[in-house]
Amino acid sequence: MSLDKIRNFSIIAHIDHGKSTLADRLLEVTGTVEKRNMRNQVLDTMDLERERGITIKAQAIRMEYEGYTLNLIDTPGHVDFSYEVSRSLAACEGTLLLVDASQGIEAQTLANAYLAIQNNLVIIPVVNKIDLPNSDPEKIIEELKNVFGIKREEVILASAKEGTGAKEILDAIINRIPPPQGREDAPLQALIFDSQYDSYRGVVAFLKVVNGQIKTGTKIKMLGTDNEYDALEIGTLKLGLNPRGILNTGEVGYLVTGIKNVREFHVGDTVTNVLNPAKEALPGYNPIKPMVFCGFYPTNAGDFPHLKDALEKLQLNDAALTFETESSAALGFGFRCGFLGLLHLEIIQERLEREYNLELVATAPSVIYKIIKTNHEEILVDNPASFPEAQTIEHIEEPYLKLTVLTPSEYVGKVMELANDKRGIFISLEYLDVTRVMLTYEIPLSEVIAEFHDLLKSVSRGYASMDYELIGYKESDLVKLDILLNQEPVDALSVIIHREKAHYKGKLLAEKLKEVLPRHQFEVPIQAAIGSKVVARETKPAIRKDVLQKCYGGDITRKKKLLEKQKAGKKRMKMIGNVEVPQDAFMAVLRLGK
Amino acid sequence: MKNNTISPQPTTHNQTHNPEPITHPLSLYLHIPFCKKKCNYCDFVSFAGKENLIDDYVNTLCDEITFQLTTYNLPFTTVYFGGGTPTLLKPEHFKQILSAISSHYLPCRQAGALPITRLEISIEANPGTVNEKYLAELRKFGINRISIGAQSFNNQHLKYLGRIHNEQDIFNAVKDAKAAGFKNINLDLMFCLPNQTMEEWKDDLSKALSLNPTHLSTYNLQFEKNTPLYKDKDKDKDKNEDREDLDADMFEYTIKTLKENGFDHYEISNFAKPGFECQHNIIYWKNGDYLGVGCGAHSHLNGERWENTSSLNDYILKKKVSSKQIADTRKETIFMGLRLLDGIGQNKFAGFEKEVDDLIGQGLLEKSGNNIKLTGKGLMLANIVFERFI
Repeated sequence: MSLDKIRNFSIIAHIDHGKSTLADRLLEVTGTVEKRNMRNQVLDTMDLERERGITIKAQAIRMEYEGYTLNLIDTPGHVDFSYEVSRSLAACEGTLLLVDASQGIEAQTLANAYLAIQNNLVIIPVVNKIDLPNSDPEKIIEELKNVFGIKREEVILASAKEGTGAKEILDAIINRIPPPQGREDAPLQALIFDSQYDSYRGVVAFLKVVNGQIKTGTKIKMLGTDNEYDALEIGTLKLGLNPRGILNTGEVGYLVTGIKNVREFHVGDTVTNVLNPAKEALPGYNPIKPMVFCGFYPTNAGDFPHLKDALEKLQLNDAALTFETESSAALGFGFRCGFLGLLHLEIIQERLEREYNLELVATAPSVIYKIIKTNHEEILVDNPASFPEAQTIEHIEEPYLKLTVLTPSEYVGKVMELANDKRGIFISLEYLDVTRVMLTYEIPLSEVIAEFHDLLKSVSRGYASMDYELIGYKESDLVKLDILLNQEPVDALSVIIHREKAHYKGKLLAEKLKEVLPRHQFEVPIQAAIGSKVVARETKPAIRKDVLQKCYGGDITRKKKLLEKQKAGKKRMKMIGNVEVPQDAFMAVLRLGK
Repeated sequence: MKNNTISPQPTTHNQTHNPEPITHPLSLYLHIPFCKKKCNYCDFVSFAGKENLIDDYVNTLCDEITFQLTTYNLPFTTVYFGGGTPTLLKPEHFKQILSAISSHYLPCRQAGALPITRLEISIEANPGTVNEKYLAELRKFGINRISIGAQSFNNQHLKYLGRIHNEQDIFNAVKDAKAAGFKNINLDLMFCLPNQTMEEWKDDLSKALSLNPTHLSTYNLQFEKNTPLYKDKDKDKDKNEDREDLDADMFEYTIKTLKENGFDHYEISNFAKPGFECQHNIIYWKNGDYLGVGCGAHSHLNGERWENTSSLNDYILKKKVSSKQIADTRKETIFMGLRLLDGIGQNKFAGFEKEVDDLIGQGLLEKSGNNIKLTGKGLMLANIVFERFI
């Protein structure tokens, strides 16, 4: 296959704008997948993905059409995954920019389109879902012109569901997207843009051969780590791994070296030939930094090794997930886990519970705080429980985001109210067109990860969309709110919160804890405090009566079982000092914290 | 060993024959599972509208009595007719049953070899089903203790509970029982009903006391699955803090008031004038042996427990009973025995010395002579104490 017959492209779009359906249609039209083998949205292989209607893992598929080889590299579509998007865009020369004809440009469309422009990709604009009754393609074409300067004649109208426009899209891919630029005779330089763990093959690296070529049996070297491996298996991706023996310049495919640890292959690294190595690496990537953290603790202490095992397995395919052991006086041994965002966190939690059958307590999500101490030392803390003493802190800085919200103009007031409430700083307001507004705010990450997205949807009846990027740290008047039970602090419940909200939050937490705590043989004071200052207090009264009133001959077996059950229930308690806290009490309080 | 039964052997027990004759006091319990109507809170083995089966039931019952008493050589010291509503049976039925019992009665030497007429023979009675004449007949056959299911003197509460009687019926039943010659009279009462106030409970107690019973049993309402009242369980104490406090208040008031009125608080829920404690139930609490006959009846004998089928038809047709289980004697002795407020001997706590010391330290148990018993505080938190021994 000569270089100029290859096209590498991706599809970027906002969630639900029809990316997966379009991908399905292209696969069908090119004959890559036969109609009878077509399951809806072939590319979303994980159940979770299908359920949530999102793509989590980037996948690649090779199609043949009219003598050309078209490599479709699928991209994830959610705020948490911009890192994954940029990786796969680097393997492409062009991208389809998909916009829903009834929704218009949304925040992710914008974000990903900018990414594509940054990567110098050719953009093919596609207006999708024109089959829907309330679609307004004209309006969208207008938007595309206003926002991106896209000309009317460049836009392709399509309905992925019905197949309209599929052929035009394929033709556009061939005609408008350039073939990969690279030299067949140059030393091998291949960019690893993703990796996956296969239980038979070990780590499978997805790569694009920029220069030179790679064959099975080649001794290869990673320019970033200087490690050498054998290319055991080389092939293309076509709904699965297709061993081919060779990948030529410009081609996208996979490499198997037999290594088992996915962290040995750094995404963004360059593969080259040991015998004729390239001098320089291709432009790579910044290592991904987790933005959101939480603690995962097994409900049953005995499940700790099982949780560790599960996290290790998940990490095999998810280099963005980080974790390390931590312990809590309240919850025992667990892990501090780092995620790209709240969705990433929720997905991992759900996978742990569902695929690995683990019962977990998750602590409230937290961000990384920068603490400047009175002795001028600067430390980073991601766990409220490890905050230093209040008197040693000079000031605290927290990560801020640039938040972009796209909303119909009738909800602007409510959206602005929400952003203000969450300590957002107004930056700008622009009209995308007569009916839609783009708002930009600077806002603390900690306010966004809590429940911002859900609230945004609810104040805008679901019409608003958001995107964000990290812009750095700013100083904030933050305090650590502690919860004390019978004078003992419960480390797992500590939260970092803005001073103004501390009283309100403290009251909420104390009330909830009072509700879920069982009565003890003594009165239990429940306090929320900042340092030594109590900001809220509730009291759980002592137990007055716990008696089996009736027990005669026929009751003995049954009542004994009842007592056994009660006793077993108490085993699932965590002791905080001499207060017994049931597992679901933690859950109830922590849920409130989210 | 007598074995002159004329009906097919109930396949109730795979038993080694010629077991040791039991010489310690033993109770005989008879279950009469018929009711006019099921009360809204009831999860006992009882059936409404099956009175046509009473004759057959009594026949089978007598067969079982005969079989059991001859198989086991059982001397017993108390007899108890429980239900359901035993007082739905006609006097002739009692005649038939008590004949079967007396013709196989072996006086228990250890218990003083009482003639059958001197045993405590109790019957549970529903106030809506008795009158003086009926009760006099029962008295004639030897029944000498009556436990009247009053539950409440408040007609609205009675309605809520689904009882078939009203307040006046209770007064009448007690009057009739006394007139019929009963001297040993118990009233059952329920407290902590949803919407029941402290005043209403005080009123119930005072009415009960005015009738001069020799025994009172007081229970708080339990919401059981598969009963009509289960829908109200959210109003229950464990879901409502003020109901929790009211439950405790009512119980404390009950204990105080009955003590002041000359009742001996001898078991968690049972109060008696001196000498009128229920001997039958004491055998349960002392983890003694008892034989239960009838549909759904439980037995505890030779270190084993078993129960008869709770299907009325299966019982009458003498079909299989549930299998025996080995009794967990040590634990059961403790958690049943501590219900008796005089406590039980220290030697019964062998192996639980640490738990006992802990509980004494917490002020929930105390030593009294050779016994260990619940303290006043322990009485209120009895479950917490019992759990330690399970």
